[in-house]
Amino acid sequence: MENQKLKILEVMSSVFEVELTSLNEESSIDNIENWDSLRHLNLILALEEEFNITIPDEEVGDLVNYKLINLIVNEQSK
Amino acid sequence: MESLKYTEILQLNKELAKESYNTDFSAKILSNVTVNSFKEIIEYSLRLKKINPKIEIGNFDNIVQDSIISSDCNLVFVFYDILNIIDNVSGYFESLDENSILELAQKIKSEIDLILINLKATPTVIFNTFSAASIVSPFVNQTRLEQFVASLNDYLYGLTAKNLVLVNIDKIIFELGRAQVFDFRFYQSSKAPYTISFFKTYIRAIESTILKVTGKVKKAIIFDCDNTLWKGVVGEDGIENIQMSANTSFGKAFYDVQCIAKHLSKNGILVGLCSKNNLSDVEEVINKHKDMILSNEDIIIKRVNWNDKATNLQEIAAELNIGVDSILFVDDSDYEINLVKERFPDLKTFQVPKNSYLYKNGLLDFVYQNTSLVVSVEDLKKTEQYKEQFVREIAKNNFDSMDSYISSLKIKLDIHKNNQSQVPRVSQLTQKTNQFNLTTVRYTEIEIEEFINSNTKHVFTAAVSDKFGDSGLTVVCIVFIDKDGAIATIDSLLMSCRIIGRNIEFVFMDQVFQFLRSVGVKIIDSKFISTAKNNQVSDFYEKLGFSVIKKSDNHKEYSLDIHQYQNSTIEYIEINKNY
Repeated sequence: MENQKLKILEVMSSVFEVELTSLNEESSIDNIENWDSLRHLNLILALEEEFNITIPDEEVGDLVNYKLINLIVNEQSK
Repeated sequence: MESLKYTEILQLNKELAKESYNTDFSAKILSNVTVNSFKEIIEYSLRLKKINPKIEIGNFDNIVQDSIISSDCNLVFVFYDILNIIDNVSGYFESLDENSILELAQKIKSEIDLILINLKATPTVIFNTFSAASIVSPFVNQTRLEQFVASLNDYLYGLTAKNLVLVNIDKIIFELGRAQVFDFRFYQSSKAPYTISFFKTYIRAIESTILKVTGKVKKAIIFDCDNTLWKGVVGEDGIENIQMSANTSFGKAFYDVQCIAKHLSKNGILVGLCSKNNLSDVEEVINKHKDMILSNEDIIIKRVNWNDKATNLQEIAAELNIGVDSILFVDDSDYEINLVKERFPDLKTFQVPKNSYLYKNGLLDFVYQNTSLVVSVEDLKKTEQYKEQFVREIAKNNFDSMDSYISSLKIKLDIHKNNQSQVPRVSQLTQKTNQFNLTTVRYTEIEIEEFINSNTKHVFTAAVSDKFGDSGLTVVCIVFIDKDGAIATIDSLLMSCRIIGRNIEFVFMDQVFQFLRSVGVKIIDSKFISTAKNNQVSDFYEKLGFSVIKKSDNHKEYSLDIHQYQNSTIEYIEINKNY
């Protein structure tokens, strides 16, 4: 579980170009300045590749913080 | 590259960004679809070659306009995608009549010409061919779209611009398959049709071009002998038992490879041997074996001895007076390949596949990526050239300058003032526009509505259309007039990036100022507030004739006596006033 958290944060860190140490479970679109619509698209692609999942169309727009990402990764990895 | 995940590429790219190399390289990506994820991938690919990349992405769907300001780069990519072209004309291309298709084709060809004229000083322009593969088509015959795309590609292949490199997108799609190349989830929202896998394979497609333009192209290819140029070990099996004949099942692959090697040596790539053998055995094979294709004439250097291959390759490089990293090395042994890789990480190696039927194509892929051995485009073109010349002259005569191109678009501006029905769109534009935005103030719908209902605040807008389509409401200017009515302040001025570069802003401001003059305004104040994205308009007010009255790092304030203002001389934009 900890491993998954780290992986998600690593993906976020590289896509948004922020230090891994600045990210935590509270990280969201509101506190990551670089999180714009184009990077959001890259985030989705990177998450799908990293966890070998497909994020459903209607969920794409909702993944705006760590907790929601974690939730969808859990759901789709089943 | 293709074996790496996107996140890995991002991380490795960030790591390498800390290094600073001797070579700088700038590239700009012009596109009519969103290709932002390509940026880090190409950066990483350049950094791997010890090059400092400076990659910029042009304004969305502004290829022609951006090509004017991009000529000082080392390289310009043009992603002129058929998807966005056809989306602008119809939901179903097959339903279009022939005339509209012809007209559209003519427009695109003229634009291609114009882009290449604008970029003629750019050392290299990588232009992607058009592909119809994004849209499903029946297996039989040809659709109109396929015909259309084929005619555009014929045109591209007929061009003679020396700096032009065409990347055949269809070949990438062959390799990966449609489902791996396109991801339409983000197409409606972000106009981003391509997957990360596509971009990773695209890097392979442009590898040889990148090596060439960065001066890192490989100059020599060095082959081992046993089980590399022929099947078998000459020292053990004997000269009569080794095979390289086109007529034996084991020899065929080696025959093919020797033909390729001979072709390489005839086309300016140095071919050499590096083998652990008795020199006399190898000499005997070269001189006497009846199936040998390569001859002593083709082989510029031989290191046939029992020393380790890394040392031999180093000596070969020294003798040929090239860097070790300019060498390609082909060998069948894991041991030798790994030894060489370890000693010279920048020396590219190719290991002969265990299954010899994979050898030819594997080697070809390796050679095409790393050397400048591309079938000379010039030669291929010459025959076609004369035929095409005629057609192109006609197209070029249509537009010999940017102005005549813009005027051919028959642009119309529909200008509104304080139009209630536009409130949501105006607010949205203030929220979304970053590049052509002088002050970047964001407004809610309620605020815009207040301006519209006030007597001293005015919201001017323009909807833009041309003969190829309608861009809708894309220009906004918000002006506050003081109590006495003598001083007007331009609070906001912004324009969607889709219509930048057509001189619309000048004609629009003429109209705004005309109104202000008519209500008795004497002085116009304005300001520019710098952001990370609006640098392109930093001198816009200077262009209009404003004087700077106050200046700080990220902020300029201006003033203009309205009677000093000179209208633009642009006549080719039609104005339709609705107030």
